[in-house]
Amino acid sequence: MKFAFIKNYYPFFLNGVKNTILLAFFAVLFGVFIGLFFSLMKLSKFKVFKVISSAYIEFIRGTPLMVQIFIIYYGLDRIGIKFPDIPALDPILGVDFADFMAGIITLSINSGAYVAEIIRAGIQAVDTGQMEAARSLGMSYFTAMVYIIIPQAFRNILPALGNEFIVVIKESSIVSVIGIADLMYSTQIIRGITYMPMEPLLVAAAIYFIITFSLSKLLGVFERRLRAGA
Amino acid sequence: MLEVINLHKKFSNLHVLKGINTEIKKGEVVVVIGPSGSGKSTFLRCLNLLEVPTQGEIIFEGVSITSKKNNINLQRQKMGMVFQQFNLFPHMTVLENITLSPVKVKKMDVQKAREIAIALLKRIGLEDKAKAYPKQLSGGQQQRIAIVRALAMSPDVMLFDEPTSALDPEMVGEVLDVMKNLAKEGMTMVVVTHEMGFAREVGDRVLFMDEGVIAEEGNPEEIFSSPKNERTKAFLGKVL
Repeated sequence: MKFAFIKNYYPFFLNGVKNTILLAFFAVLFGVFIGLFFSLMKLSKFKVFKVISSAYIEFIRGTPLMVQIFIIYYGLDRIGIKFPDIPALDPILGVDFADFMAGIITLSINSGAYVAEIIRAGIQAVDTGQMEAARSLGMSYFTAMVYIIIPQAFRNILPALGNEFIVVIKESSIVSVIGIADLMYSTQIIRGITYMPMEPLLVAAAIYFIITFSLSKLLGVFERRLRAGA
Repeated sequence: MLEVINLHKKFSNLHVLKGINTEIKKGEVVVVIGPSGSGKSTFLRCLNLLEVPTQGEIIFEGVSITSKKNNINLQRQKMGMVFQQFNLFPHMTVLENITLSPVKVKKMDVQKAREIAIALLKRIGLEDKAKAYPKQLSGGQQQRIAIVRALAMSPDVMLFDEPTSALDPEMVGEVLDVMKNLAKEGMTMVVVTHEMGFAREVGDRVLFMDEGVIAEEGNPEEIFSSPKNERTKAFLGKVL
C-alpha cells in the first residue's frame, strides 16, 4: 500500500473534515433543541402534543436516514420548498449552501428524534420530589423545568448524549449521496482520481476515528468535571 | 387564614380523604398525627395543591385556591413546604438553593436575596455552609436548610410533611429545635409528624387522622391525656 497520494490530495481531506465537523456540529446543536422540544411535548399532559411527538419519534426511528435525506433533498424541492442560497458561503463550503442546509436539516431532524428519547428518559429519572419542591416554592412548571429539572436531567444523560454526538459524526457521511463535500465525499473523489480503491478509505476511517475518539475522551473529562461539581 | 371544607381525595379507586373540615388560624401550630395510610400526608399536600383534591374547597387568605381560575403559584409563594426527603436541589450550592426562588419568582434583587439567605443561615448556625453542596451535608443540616429555603420566601404558613422521618435519630433534635423556634416566633404551622413529644410540647391543636377523616381533634393535653375516640386510644397506646 502506498500513501504518497496524501501529499497531493490532503486539501480534499481537509475540506471534507471541515465540512463534516460543521455538519455534525450544527446537526447536534439543532438536534438537541429539536429533541428538547419534542421530549417536553411527549411529557406534556396534553394528548395532542404527545401524539404528535410520538409520531415524529417513531417515524424518524423507523425509517432509514438515506430515505429521509432523499425526501428532504428532492421531495421538498418538488413541493416548492427551496432553501435560500447564500452564494457568499459557497466557496467556503465548497458546496452549494442550499444543499448544505438540506444536509444539516436532515441530520438535525434525524438526531432530534433520538435525542428526544434520551432527554425524556433523563427528565423522568429526576426524582419527583425535585419538581414538588420547586413548585412548592412558587415556581411555575416552566421555571422549575429550566432551573431545576433540565440541569439535573442533562447531567444524567451526558453519556448517552455524547454517544449520540458520535453517532451523528459517523452518520453524517450519508450526506455524500446528495453531493455535499464532506469527508466521505472527498474520499470518493480521491479514490476516483487516484484509482486507489483502498488507501483513501483507510485514511478516511483513521480521520473519522480520530475525531470520534477525541470527542469521546473530551466528553469523559467534561463528565468527570460535572460529577466533581456536586 | 386557611380553611378546608369537605375535602375529598381519590387515587383511582382508593378513597384517601373522605371529607376533611378544619380551619387553621394565624399563628396556630397544628400537628397532624395518625397511623400510616391514614391520609395525613395527602391532606397536607392538598393544602398547597401538590395533590389536587377530588372534591371540596380550600380557602387561603380569603382566596379559594381550589377554584379553576386560581393561579396557585401566587399562594404557594406564601406557603412554605418542608418534605420528608429534604428535596434540596443537588446541583446548586446551599446559597443558590435558598436564593433561587426569591430571585426568579419574587424578582428580588440578587444581593438582597443573598443577605436574607445569609441572615437565615446564621440563625440556624450554618452560614459557613453557604457554598457547600447538599450532598456534602448531613441529613439534619440538609433539612434545616430546606426549612430556611422555604422561609426565604417569607411565607405566611409553613407545611411540614414528616420532616424528621428520614433522619438518623441523633439529628432529629436539631431539626425540631428549628421548628420550635419558628413556632415561638408566631409562625403558622401545619406539621405532619410521628414525633409525639413535639406535638405535645409545641402544638396548639392536634388532629388525629384515621382512614381519611379527622377522627379526633383538640389541644395536646386533651388528646394525649384523655383521648375520647377508641381509635385515638389504640393509636396512642402503640406509639407512646
